[in-house]
Amino acid sequence: MRRITFVSSAVAFCMTAALAIGVTAALKPASPVADLPSRKVELKSAGAMTFSPDGILFVGDSVGGSVVAIDTMDRKPAAKGATINVQGVDAKIAALVGVPADQIAINDIKVNPISHNVYLSGARGKGPDAMPLIVRVDASGAVTNVSLDNAKREMVSLADAPKSDPAARGGDPRMLTITDMSFVNGNLLVAGLSNEEWSSSLRSIPFPFKDADKGTTLQIWHASHGRYETQAPVRTFVPYTISGQQYILAAYTCTPLVKIPVSDLKPGAQVKGQTIADLGSGNQPLDMIPYKKDGHEYILVANSSRGVMKLKADDLGSYEKIDSPVVPNPPSNIAGVPYDSLNDLKGVQHIARLDDSNALLLVGKFTGMPWAPGAPQGPLNLQTIALP
Amino acid sequence: MLKRKLAGIAVILFLGMTATAQSVSIQFDGSVFKLAGWKQLPATAPAKGWASLFVVYAGVGDVPPLLGSYSVEAGILIFRPSFPIAPGVHYRAVFHPPDGGAAIENEFDGPRRDTTPLARVEHVYPSGDVWPSNQLRLYIYFSAPMSRGQAGAYLHVLDENGKVLPGVFLPGEELWDPGFKRLTMTFDPGRIKRGLTSNTAMGPPIADGKRYTLAIDKDWQDARGVPMVEGFRKNFRGGPAERTAPDPQKWRVVAPKAGTSEPLVVDFTKPMNYALLQRMLTVTDTRGSVSGTVSTAEHETQWRFTPQQPWRTGDYQLIVDTGIEDLAGNHVGQLFDIDVFEHVTEHIETKTIPLPFSIH
Repeated sequence: MRRITFVSSAVAFCMTAALAIGVTAALKPASPVADLPSRKVELKSAGAMTFSPDGILFVGDSVGGSVVAIDTMDRKPAAKGATINVQGVDAKIAALVGVPADQIAINDIKVNPISHNVYLSGARGKGPDAMPLIVRVDASGAVTNVSLDNAKREMVSLADAPKSDPAARGGDPRMLTITDMSFVNGNLLVAGLSNEEWSSSLRSIPFPFKDADKGTTLQIWHASHGRYETQAPVRTFVPYTISGQQYILAAYTCTPLVKIPVSDLKPGAQVKGQTIADLGSGNQPLDMIPYKKDGHEYILVANSSRGVMKLKADDLGSYEKIDSPVVPNPPSNIAGVPYDSLNDLKGVQHIARLDDSNALLLVGKFTGMPWAPGAPQGPLNLQTIALP
Repeated sequence: MLKRKLAGIAVILFLGMTATAQSVSIQFDGSVFKLAGWKQLPATAPAKGWASLFVVYAGVGDVPPLLGSYSVEAGILIFRPSFPIAPGVHYRAVFHPPDGGAAIENEFDGPRRDTTPLARVEHVYPSGDVWPSNQLRLYIYFSAPMSRGQAGAYLHVLDENGKVLPGVFLPGEELWDPGFKRLTMTFDPGRIKRGLTSNTAMGPPIADGKRYTLAIDKDWQDARGVPMVEGFRKNFRGGPAERTAPDPQKWRVVAPKAGTSEPLVVDFTKPMNYALLQRMLTVTDTRGSVSGTVSTAEHETQWRFTPQQPWRTGDYQLIVDTGIEDLAGNHVGQLFDIDVFEHVTEHIETKTIPLPFSIH
């Protein structure tokens, strides 16, 4: 296992920071495919995931404080127009691993860019004894377990060894929750949240992981918003190209959207992002997928409290940065890049791009309060929709 | 039609039974499923695999078979599930005779789910009764591992009339410790941070001078899916926003006497983040780190360090990690939100500040 340096605090504004890295470059397959050694994958949890263009699956292990790269060996190109629709995928996974359906947690979904099979990360059980799971669903709806016993994989540790907590019984309570990852130009970008200190943690790790290379820690600032700048962790981000320049679009733990030039993401850099949208209070963006349709650019954003938004992303570079509190439409508090709310899409927990024409949704009934949704209630369904 | 028991002896469906099937029994001994009595059992797996003959389902409807492996032992085909047998699962084991005869199946129940309530709220931090209006984080310590994803339904802040206040916490963000016994919740930073639209439109989640109740409902389920023994309530009052960075130079360090194991006592000027107090203050002497036990007192305004070995006469240092935070997320040399017109600190790396003290 390799280690990289834990990210120290970063100063940033609470906004959706757009980390834009060129889509074109990001999707360029690495060549040749990294030859990973075959070993047992020792995950303690399976959370946020991303794919490299050549089918390497990266799995964030928040409990283990690591990221595992797994060669899925899943490179048979998808049949044209294949879609995935599975009712009650939680019950199917539960039956596969032998627990009641309410003991299955699904943490993320990602689509293999070559085979277009969907991979789900999650857990069998909901407590400390929960066992990490990665399952694959194909266009026929077949649900299969991704064996971790002798997979071709590589691992990188994200955490410095935490100082022991003398008061803790049963282990150190400190944990970094990996919230999002993206593979950009041969580097894995990892965003996370600490359950103790309020810090920004965005790391850039070259892949294949190297012993000597511990990755780069980035500090993301947010451009001045009013007269204050604040710390905030990045919650989710996506590569994006604006006027030929590579950016990442990033969201902090509240909903402004920020763009950051990839050229700024240098080792040790303190990066200032530019706010281009504010997606509303009491909300968190969960997943973003950029796409083009009919000559226009859009970004679908799945949110914790505000459903799915379709951002009109043409000329993102033309939006002036938002640098003062704007309340154009109380109480929803939205500003900047215009968007439509896709009100017919209810209960969307995750969203992934299936192909150039379709998106894949994980849909379930939200529990909790409207302003504080909790774990979804089953059945959970995988649903393909045409990109709107 | 079928008997269900943990270690059941097969009950065979006699309808349409073939000669092949008549002697077959399907058993479950609590850990593995067995197909016994099949005299034509081949020594090796058929071309389509053992699953083409004998398969176990752990769910109803159109579900995939239970994951597992097969072996032939003493003339019995054994199916070993890949995962441990879990409570609350109903199994259906099916034998498809290769001669095309009717399928034979048996059903079993795994162990029952234990529904005895165990979990309680043990502690909540901050423990004080006055929380600043820009309070950032809340720690809830449970006595048993809990299910995640339930804070939205069962964790509330009530106003003085008992009405649930919406939008207090960051939605959808439960940060658990690895043991699922400590939950970290974050007050909506969009409402805390000055200058953000949420702050402007909705104000801070806690108002100075108002009275509130933190309410945790009994229905919050533990990791087994069982509700808690009892709910939990804590009354608190909103205080003024905390907008000063912690200053270790203003802390009072009270050194104990040599030869004793009395605690070193550090008094802060305000309450601090409980979790970070457990690991961001350390004691060193000329030989390195001093081992001991940390506790807090006076609602996290005091830190106490009791050494494993009695104090020796000499010079010591209290090492302060500048990442230590107060209740509002301000840390040493760095406010949570910076007034850029007045002061900008580009805090890059975690640093430490030594506070020397002597033991006599």
